[in-house]
Amino acid sequence: MKRVIEQEAMKRIEVRLSLTVVAPLLDVIKSVNDSLQDKLAAPLEMGEVDEDLREIWHDELIGAQNSDIAKLLAMFDREFFANGLIAFDSDYAEPVMRACAAVRLRLREQFLKGLSDEVLEAGEVEMEQLAEPPRTAFMCYLFLATLQELIIQHLDTITGEE
Amino acid sequence: MGTHPHTSPVAHPETDLELHGLWRVVVLNDPVNLMSYVVMVFRKIFGFDDATARKHMMEVHEQGRSIVWTGLREKAEAYTFTLHQWHLTAIIEPDEASH
Repeated sequence: MKRVIEQEAMKRIEVRLSLTVVAPLLDVIKSVNDSLQDKLAAPLEMGEVDEDLREIWHDELIGAQNSDIAKLLAMFDREFFANGLIAFDSDYAEPVMRACAAVRLRLREQFLKGLSDEVLEAGEVEMEQLAEPPRTAFMCYLFLATLQELIIQHLDTITGEE
Repeated sequence: MGTHPHTSPVAHPETDLELHGLWRVVVLNDPVNLMSYVVMVFRKIFGFDDATARKHMMEVHEQGRSIVWTGLREKAEAYTFTLHQWHLTAIIEPDEASH
């Protein structure tokens, strides 16, 4: 993954990706998206929140989650399939970061349950020892983390300039 | 001139605080979200400086939870909702000292 252009005026960032590596991961993201249509990626543990409020929040959070993941998937458009380039501006950065978090949480739940919290947190996963589908799921998990890191660095740069 | 509003002789000393006490917003650990992401979310939502955000992130990471805000219930609920929008696991709980 290589950041190629950062245009000052629009705060736009463009990233060139390996088509052969990333394209198969999109199928994983789409399948996770399908499984999240009426389900929250993170458990709705809210403590002492009223049941009525919890239901309202649940619906609003589902709507926001779906909207964010749609923005993430929309980045992989014709330009990406033509030359591996994805682009986003500051307005898109936050929804895309949230979408990455949602998909990563769901990937853990769906495909990576066999990995302990400690192993996952430390990143001590032996990729070659993973079977499919966890192997591709873990590649997707790492790819989305890298994308998040890139956006956070980009936002830090913008904040530093202001 | 100088007319005083007619006031009830009955005092109403109960404030929101006295009626409902203080509530804590607590963020719980998860093994998935990146440390840098959690720091960024804390800075964005609570306006923490980098050092404060990192302190709370490390508490979550090492102790499993961190109290990131304490105050009135309505605002605690709003913060909790926003944290869930960012896919962090957050709960509200009564601040024992005020209940």
